[in-house]
Amino acid sequence: MKKQSASEGKGLKHLDLSPAQYNSRMHLYGRVSTLLALAALLMVPTSFCLYLGVWPKASGIFAGLAKVAPLFYATAIVEMVAYTPLLGTGGMYLSFVTGNISNLKLPCALAAMDGAKVKPNSEEGEVITTISIAVSSIVTTVIIAVCVLLFKPFLPYLTRDDSVFAPAFRQVIPALFGALGATYFAKNWKISVLPIAALVILLVFSGGIPAGTLVPIGVVLSIAWALLLWKLKKL
Amino acid sequence: MFDSENGFFMLIGGVVVAVVLGQSIFFLIKAYRRALALGIERATLRGTIVSSALFTIAPSLAIVATVLALANALGIILPWIRLSVIGNISQETTAATAALETVGGTLSQKVTDPEAFTLVAWVMTLGSCMPLILLPLFLKKLQGGVNKAEGKIPASLVDALSAAAFIGLIAAFVSRSIAGKGAAGDNPLYGASFGDGAGVMSVVTLLASVVCMLILQRIAEKKHIRWLETFAMPISMFFAMGVAILMAQVLPENIAFLEWRG
Repeated sequence: MKKQSASEGKGLKHLDLSPAQYNSRMHLYGRVSTLLALAALLMVPTSFCLYLGVWPKASGIFAGLAKVAPLFYATAIVEMVAYTPLLGTGGMYLSFVTGNISNLKLPCALAAMDGAKVKPNSEEGEVITTISIAVSSIVTTVIIAVCVLLFKPFLPYLTRDDSVFAPAFRQVIPALFGALGATYFAKNWKISVLPIAALVILLVFSGGIPAGTLVPIGVVLSIAWALLLWKLKKL
Repeated sequence: MFDSENGFFMLIGGVVVAVVLGQSIFFLIKAYRRALALGIERATLRGTIVSSALFTIAPSLAIVATVLALANALGIILPWIRLSVIGNISQETTAATAALETVGGTLSQKVTDPEAFTLVAWVMTLGSCMPLILLPLFLKKLQGGVNKAEGKIPASLVDALSAAAFIGLIAAFVSRSIAGKGAAGDNPLYGASFGDGAGVMSVVTLLASVVCMLILQRIAEKKHIRWLETFAMPISMFFAMGVAILMAQVLPENIAFLEWRG
């Protein structure tokens, strides 16, 4: 990491803050902005319901949530613990608000720290990860918004059943998860073989099991298998 | 039938995006000033900003593809909002699928019932909001605890378990593409057998995506092409989707649309 002359930093009030004070201030900003984001998030379905004049049955919401919430909530806790030492205070609040941490924010922050030659859990690492994740969040939010506006008029033609693109849109899931999984499967083939084989066999006997049910089965199986392999020193 | 892409929903989307951008810009300014105060050179900071922006472009396109994929059933506004806040490619797809299953729908069919639409919106929102409740409450305490515990759990085990969790999630979708039943379709162009169940189309698309990704990564690694490493994932995904289109055009219908699980 290159340092600038001390005089260049003088006069900035942030220089006066100790690392602990800066960290406390980041927590305050993070808490307030995260709660604001939570309010904005909950406003979405509420305003949709008010606008449309319909409210879904609570039993339906619970039935849908029951399939995903146990895994998502557990993942949220695991991710919080796992990323805290890597992403710093500012980076944690930002990346959890905009999401896509493992496939975007974390590698982006790690690459930025590498480029700036700073270490996680250092003062410099804290600011570099915050800058990196803030930029990444801005870019990703803008790209999604611009593409939504650009694609909106064409979307019906692209996804219509008789469109030439229809087969591609029907196969987004294998195309997406094939590319996403390829690296993980290649690097961790010993861990990957069992969960994939077991889930395929399960589907051979009961092909209608929905993805929402398969995910927690796959995750538990995969983690248990990885733990066993690690204990047997096979990893 | 209702319009899931009306002006009011668009406005709500704009408000959500403004909140997210506001938070990011605020933190960017604060961290930038602090970095200067710590004596980090402006050139280093510029490098961080440019490389982070470039790094983000390709994965963002994959997120856009997910928005488009979900838009088939939900219109474009709800997936746009959900993928802009907390939204995660695999979780949002899973949550939308789980919610639609409770009303007998799938991601392959347009949601036309407003109640079903709001149900999906609530399940996707409540399913993903937990981190925004946990962070303000526990992050500060956790930081202290994690710093103490760090080093006690072997790094190799932490790496293996986090990879395993991700693999388990991906395995669920991959296995459905190999052996899962779909909702049989009734397509004017491709025939009544064209649904979204496992068959020739899903398996070839999956393999095309995996093989393309591995080849591109190998090339990027051997030839030290940094940009290819970054773009390998969206390229592979679009390539595989292209293969699906090509198969539909070139192969006989009874082969291309053969679904062994219906």
